[in-house]
Amino acid sequence: MILEISNLKKTYGSRTVVNINELQINEGETIGLVGNNGAGKTTLFRMLLDLIRPDEGQIISKGENVAASDQWKNYTASYLDEGFLIDYLTSEEYFFFIGSLHNLSEAHVLDYLKSYEEFFNGEILGKGKYIRDFSKGNQNKIGIAAALMQNPELLVLDEPFANLDPTTQIRLKSLIKLLKTGDKMTTLISSHDLNHVTDVCDRIILLEKGLIIKDFQTNENTLKELEAYFSV
Amino acid sequence: MLTTFLSHQWKGFWRSKSKGGTIAANILIGFFTLYLLTLAIILGFLLEFFIGKYSPGKDVGVIFNGIIIYYFAIDFIMRLQLQELPTMSIVPYLHLRIPKRKIVNFLNARALFNAFNILPLFLFIPFCCTYISDVHGAYASLMFCVSILSLIVFNNYTALYVKRLTLASTKYVIVTIVAISLLAALEYYKIFSIKAVSNAVFGTISKQPVVALGFTGIAILMFIVNAKYLRKNLYTEELGSSEEKKTSTDYPLLNHFGEAGTLVALELKLILRHKRTRSALMMSLLFIFYGFLFYKEDVLKKDALGMVIFAATFMTGSAVTIYGQFMFGWQGSYFDGLLANKTNFRNFIKAKFLLFTIMSTITTCIITFYGFLSWKILAVQFAAYLYNIGLGTVVILYFATRNYKAIDLSKGSTFNYQGVSASQFVLMIPYFALPYLFYQPFASAGKPYYGLICLGFFGLTGLLTRSYWIEFILREFNKRKYKIAEGFRQTP
Repeated sequence: MILEISNLKKTYGSRTVVNINELQINEGETIGLVGNNGAGKTTLFRMLLDLIRPDEGQIISKGENVAASDQWKNYTASYLDEGFLIDYLTSEEYFFFIGSLHNLSEAHVLDYLKSYEEFFNGEILGKGKYIRDFSKGNQNKIGIAAALMQNPELLVLDEPFANLDPTTQIRLKSLIKLLKTGDKMTTLISSHDLNHVTDVCDRIILLEKGLIIKDFQTNENTLKELEAYFSV
Repeated sequence: MLTTFLSHQWKGFWRSKSKGGTIAANILIGFFTLYLLTLAIILGFLLEFFIGKYSPGKDVGVIFNGIIIYYFAIDFIMRLQLQELPTMSIVPYLHLRIPKRKIVNFLNARALFNAFNILPLFLFIPFCCTYISDVHGAYASLMFCVSILSLIVFNNYTALYVKRLTLASTKYVIVTIVAISLLAALEYYKIFSIKAVSNAVFGTISKQPVVALGFTGIAILMFIVNAKYLRKNLYTEELGSSEEKKTSTDYPLLNHFGEAGTLVALELKLILRHKRTRSALMMSLLFIFYGFLFYKEDVLKKDALGMVIFAATFMTGSAVTIYGQFMFGWQGSYFDGLLANKTNFRNFIKAKFLLFTIMSTITTCIITFYGFLSWKILAVQFAAYLYNIGLGTVVILYFATRNYKAIDLSKGSTFNYQGVSASQFVLMIPYFALPYLFYQPFASAGKPYYGLICLGFFGLTGLLTRSYWIEFILREFNKRKYKIAEGFRQTP
């Protein structure tokens, strides 16, 4: 079990944003988090990454509370939003910086980036631009690639398909599927795109106003079920 | 149109997301301004009395005439550092059916509402209406007022113009600094005297009041130059980004410091690649001329080092305080990324100390030129330097862990108040008071040099026990990191 959430609660004023009694996530699972705006997806991710302090409860990652020790950082990579990018660096500088945090040499990083040429579609490297001058979609690509580069055991992505062009969306999906079979990577994805989520994930968690409404393995009926829920 | 702009600005101010900090900062600034204005009025009405008291036996009119341009020269330097460029996000208006002329006019009119423009009115006009009118008649008194008003307008637009130029290109910063230092040096060595010039000019005006219109002339000229420049650059300023190719850089020297070095390199890039940080640092370079104001011969002769220490602390730490007071807000836009990544925050704090040490060392090296005035200055500056890198940095970083406002780096102007909170004002008190804790007991006992040694000793002790302070700051940081991250996320 890689993640164990118990009694997790976060309130802002009188509004409860996250209220999860119990949730366990096993190694190698690919989990899709769905829910309308305000369901608490991003807040949950932020607590998972120790960016927000939960009001109650705890998140245990590999046996250690994420708020108490930095151990989880060694095997967790994430990209939530542009707030994770250092926007005055060139894309290469950013990759080098992230690499250096994991003791990867520049040669290593460059070597790794080569395998992502197709994903980048020739738009990221060698452009001589700062990250702030890239389009939103390309910024997303940089963030996702930087997260994947860390070769994580646990990957957390918040709406990774948003702003990406269709080709890249499809490439990202196959990338995630590939990493799941190869490296036993555990992935947490939130998305508003039900098609993609049901395609990629083998377990779906449906959130509504901070509560887990449904938690099930995907099968051929999942998409219809979800569409039925959301079309109310 | 003007009123619509004004109402938009007004709404923008009250509805801004970072309102809390802005209001607190504005109230403080407001009080300070009010205090200064009250002082100015009192001083203005009692000017005749004060001049008579401090320069007995001299002609009050002559002294007054000598002060005027001197005042405006200092006023100009102050403006360069403190006056805000009237920034309004003009982008939403540019594509509408509003002539550019109107937008420029608004920006120019708004610039007049500034404490710098009101202060001299209170200070000089009462004297002109009383003393000058008694001695030289009503006509001369009127023209004195006209020339002072003109000088205000002239200073206002020249300062804005120079600031705009320096923001556009660093070349002008160097020109400005060289010009000011040259004038300051000439004045200090009594080769050229602003006082004499001022006296000559206003002496003439009291006899030939029409001459005052010369000031009005240059004021109008400056207004036009400024307006033309604005109209020409109305878009390039905000919308145009240079097309030059950006290169990846590396600072091999910093690699010796491990992860802390990498983080310093990251921050150096932050400083060099943003207008706001660049100009803040450039303006902090201007502070190194404060020595000419404080390092006076008679003060040094008497070994009254109190004010000298203040100036030395200020100058050796100018870059540290000006940049450091907003720490970690500069990195607010990607703070979540730093937290979620495998950044070791002990190294993060270490990097801040390293950066401050580099900054302070550079400024200290630059201001060794004051050694030409007296060796005593070098001793004071060295003690102040040790204080800055040993203890001053700790004070600043401690307050950094209590700063929850992110800095919006996309905004250019030097002293815009975005990101200012009360912590910046509070920070300055212990930072400047601490040196006196070490110095004053000895100075009161008549041994100022022992006081200096004491100051340097404690600075050095702070430096040698740095690992303890790193742990201390780290503890404080960990206590409040969620609050810091939360605050940064909420600052627009």
